[in-house]
Parts: sequence; structure tokens; C-alpha cells
Amino acid sequence: MFNKKALTLSLLLSVNTAAVAAPLTYDLKPQKIAENTWVLKGALEDFSRKNGGNIVNTGFVVTEEGVLVIDTGPSLKYGEEMKAAIAEITDKPIKYVLNTHSHPDHFLGNQAFSNSDILALPKTNEQLALHGDAFAGNMYRLVGDWMRSTEVKLPTQDLKVDKLKLGSHQFSLMSFTGHTGSDLVVYDRKTGVLFASDMVFFQRALTTPHTPGLDVWFKEIEKLEAIDYKVIVPGHGPVSKDKDSLKQMKRYLLWLDETLIDAAQKGLSMTEVIRIPINEVFPDIKLTRHEFIRTVAHLYPLYEDKYF
Amino acid sequence: MKGRLAALLVSAAVSFSANGAEPDPLESPLWDYMRTQFIGDDAYVFDDRVKVGLPEFAEDPTQVPIMVDASALSGNIKQIITWADLNPIQHIFTYYPHPEIVPRISLRIKVQQGTAVRAAVQTKDGVWHMGGSYLDAAGGGCTAPSAANSDPYWESHLGEMKSRFFAKEEGGRYKFKVIHPMDTGLVNAIPEFYIQQVAVRNQQGESLARLELSQPVSENPVITFDVRDKNQKHSVWLRDNSGNEFGRDL
Repeated sequence: MFNKKALTLSLLLSVNTAAVAAPLTYDLKPQKIAENTWVLKGALEDFSRKNGGNIVNTGFVVTEEGVLVIDTGPSLKYGEEMKAAIAEITDKPIKYVLNTHSHPDHFLGNQAFSNSDILALPKTNEQLALHGDAFAGNMYRLVGDWMRSTEVKLPTQDLKVDKLKLGSHQFSLMSFTGHTGSDLVVYDRKTGVLFASDMVFFQRALTTPHTPGLDVWFKEIEKLEAIDYKVIVPGHGPVSKDKDSLKQMKRYLLWLDETLIDAAQKGLSMTEVIRIPINEVFPDIKLTRHEFIRTVAHLYPLYEDKYF
Repeated sequence: MKGRLAALLVSAAVSFSANGAEPDPLESPLWDYMRTQFIGDDAYVFDDRVKVGLPEFAEDPTQVPIMVDASALSGNIKQIITWADLNPIQHIFTYYPHPEIVPRISLRIKVQQGTAVRAAVQTKDGVWHMGGSYLDAAGGGCTAPSAANSDPYWESHLGEMKSRFFAKEEGGRYKFKVIHPMDTGLVNAIPEFYIQQVAVRNQQGESLARLELSQPVSENPVITFDVRDKNQKHSVWLRDNSGNEFGRDL
């Protein structure tokens, strides 16, 4: 009787150990979306211990003179796997790494690229210096062991130019503000690929913790619409060739703005606002409920202030 | 062993019959302790009509919206006590609504970690009607310095109020905001400094609702409450723990 129990226990333990010992891997698979251009697609999810924070699209462009990397993912592990994935495609050196903005899923892989120049907009660098460690700490809480050994590696330089030439690729570097107050959008003139960063979310609800305003963001989406791109890579969501992602952004931003104005004019309390139906309004967008609750927390006090 | 178990069962049975109540639906480890702190050995029931509205998670642990709605027990209420089981300072507010006031109130609070948030509504027969919800939170709201601590704006605007009346189909709603740091006293070198008393009065100066606030109420409180008579004029009066008094016609 006793022995049987011990045997069962040891079996259980060995099964458990096996499960725990399976190494965490993002299993990154670069997808070629245009000539010399690859994207690593993240899940349309929120950060979790299951996805290890891989909810983001990162990308890279291989030129004759080296590789341009656009965002480095949520962790050291991601950065290392990304670097290895690039090395399988080219033996060219990684010349530049860009961090499009200060959110943790876009820069915490920087450590893996410590031999390259890492560039971000000056205001992004200020934000990273101020909040980077807090973002990293929060990621450890949200995704756990995937973050092991991840530390904030700040960009090495302020990005002060609006053009970058690498090999035969001419990149336009555009500075926007809608998502975080400092958002870099990269347009490759050679291939027509627009790396829209988190200025654009597609089929996944946008996030608002640092937006200067939904109206500001909306106007900047109109500027992106004027660009004659061939392919658009959103920060989150599928890559596409048309303008549907921008149309969806405008519709969603407008709905949020109008809904919050209407709520403030009616005197709704925050608790009432978060119950306003949204999933039904945007059945084609994931995580609307979750992000709406967050957006109300971020922005509703400002709307309330306007309508006192 | 058997004897002890039997004794335990007996005492459990006794305490159940004394309170006439079921176990805590929110399964909070501090339920029995906190209940005793706030309502002693009084009789209580869990009552779905007492609603505590919260988001599922706290996006900002220093500004968590909460709405307590006991309107189903309207006209029969002595007081409403709210608290958060796992906050370092548990008490949030005690509310004494006059029958002219709909017992439904919204404001924002600070939370230190994920916690059950309770509203205990005492009806005129003395029985407490318990409502509550669980809030998930990363935490730290009570021991984070107020924004006022790094921005001197409040010093020249302390007690400034904005308010608005919103007519509803039946009755109306007041929402007001007051500039106040609402410091908890739990942050190193920042003493507690918070609004303790709020009263809503009618034109005759009668108090229609009285609120006793504690430190977990958020900085620059925004308070929403509903009245039955939209034709009455009301005013609000507040006092903080330093004795500053503020008032305004709503």
C-alpha cells in the first residue's frame, strides 16, 4: 500500500519534471512579405505565460550592406531567436536596429543586438529611460520565465534623420504621436512596404495607455492613408496589401471617441462606461472588451473633465 | 481527534445559526475577520440586490472605478459600509443616504493587490445585506505617492470643485470632482491627508446624504450620485482631516 503510493508519487513527479523541463521557445518563423523583407508574426492575444509575450509583429530587411531590424520583441529570448532566424536567411551583419516606440513588446529583445547600432526617436529614448524598467518588471509578472535574464538595453542613439539608405534600399523614417506620443513608421521606398508599428492595429483592439488623444491618432491615420504603399505591416495583426487596416483603425478610433463623449455628456460613471457593449460592434476585432476596459481607465477621466 | 472534530462542527453550526448566513461567495481569507471588524456579530445575509460594480481587473491600481448600487433596498437603508478585504486600510467609505437620494454611488479607489471589495448595507431592521465583487490587480495603489506629490498644482487648487447635474428620465444625477491629494499616509514621509466627510444638502440646509471617506478613495475624487427630485437644488460640503472645509452649490 505504502509502496504503491510512493510509486504513483514518483511517476507523477517524473511526468511533472518532464513537462517543466521542456524548453520555452517562440519557434519564430520569418515570413517573406516582399523582396528582401521578412516579418515575424505575433499572436492576436494579450501577454500571457502561454505566448511568452509574442503578440507583436517584428521585421527585418536584408540589403547588400547589411540588415535593418525593426523592433526586437518582448524578451531577451525573443531577441536571440530573432537573431538566429535572421542568420539562417543571411550572413550579412545586422547594421541597424530600430525601436519604433517605448512599449515593452518592441524593445526588450535589444540585449541580443548589443553589437549593432540601436536607434529610436529622441522622445522614445526619453520614455524608455523613464519607464523601461517598470515595463520590464511588469512583463516578468505577466509572462514569467520567458523573460529570464531580460534587462532593459536602451537604444544607443537618437534617431534624428528622416531618411536612411542601406544598400539599394531607401527608407523614409516618419515620426508620429498617436499611439505613445512618439511612434516611428518606416517606409521602404524600394519595396513599398510600410512598417506601421503600433500606429496600426489590425483585427486586434488598439491599446491606449500613452496616446495623446484619439483625435490626434485619427488624424495621423489619415496621413498614413495618403502613402501609396504596396504592403502594410501593422504592429499587431495580419499583413495586408489594401487599406482595410487603416479603415478599421479610423472606424474604431471614431467609435471610441464618440462613445466616450456620449458617456461623459450623459454623466455615466466609469463603472457604467466599461459595460457599454463593444464586441457586437466590432465582431472582426479581437480583445475589444479587454482593451475597452483599459481605454476607459486611461482616457475617460479626460472626457469627464471636458463635460463638467 | 474525533472529539475535537465534533466540537468544531458544533461551534460552526452555532456560528451559522447566530448569523443565519452561508460561507463567503468570494472565498476571501479575511472575510470572517473583516466582517467582525465592520459589523461585529450582527446578523447578515448575502444579498444579490446589493451590487458592487467593478472592472474585472485594475488597469490603474490608483484609480479603480467602483459603483455601489443598493437601490433595490431603497428607503429601507440605515447605512452602507464598503471595504476592500486585502487593502492595508480596508475601509473605503460609509454612506448614509436619505430616502430622497437613490442609494447608488460611484467613485474611484486605490487598491494594494487583488482583493474582494464589499458593500454591507444595513436595513432598518438591523440586518446587514452583503454584496461584493472580486477585483484582480497588479497592485501598489495604496503605497504609490499621489501624483500631487510631484506636481505642486494642488497646493494652489486644493478643494477646487467642478460639478454638473445630469437630468435623467426619473430624477437626476450629480457628478462632482474635487482637487485633493488623498494621501494615504502609507508612503514614506508623506503624511495622511484626505477628505473625511462629505455631505449633500438641499436648499433648506438639510443633509440628504452623508459620506465618511477613508484613505483608499482616489486622488482628486470624482463622485457620482443620483437624486429623486430633479427640481430641488443641492449643495455639497466637504472636510478633510486637516480641518479644511470646502463647499459648492451643485
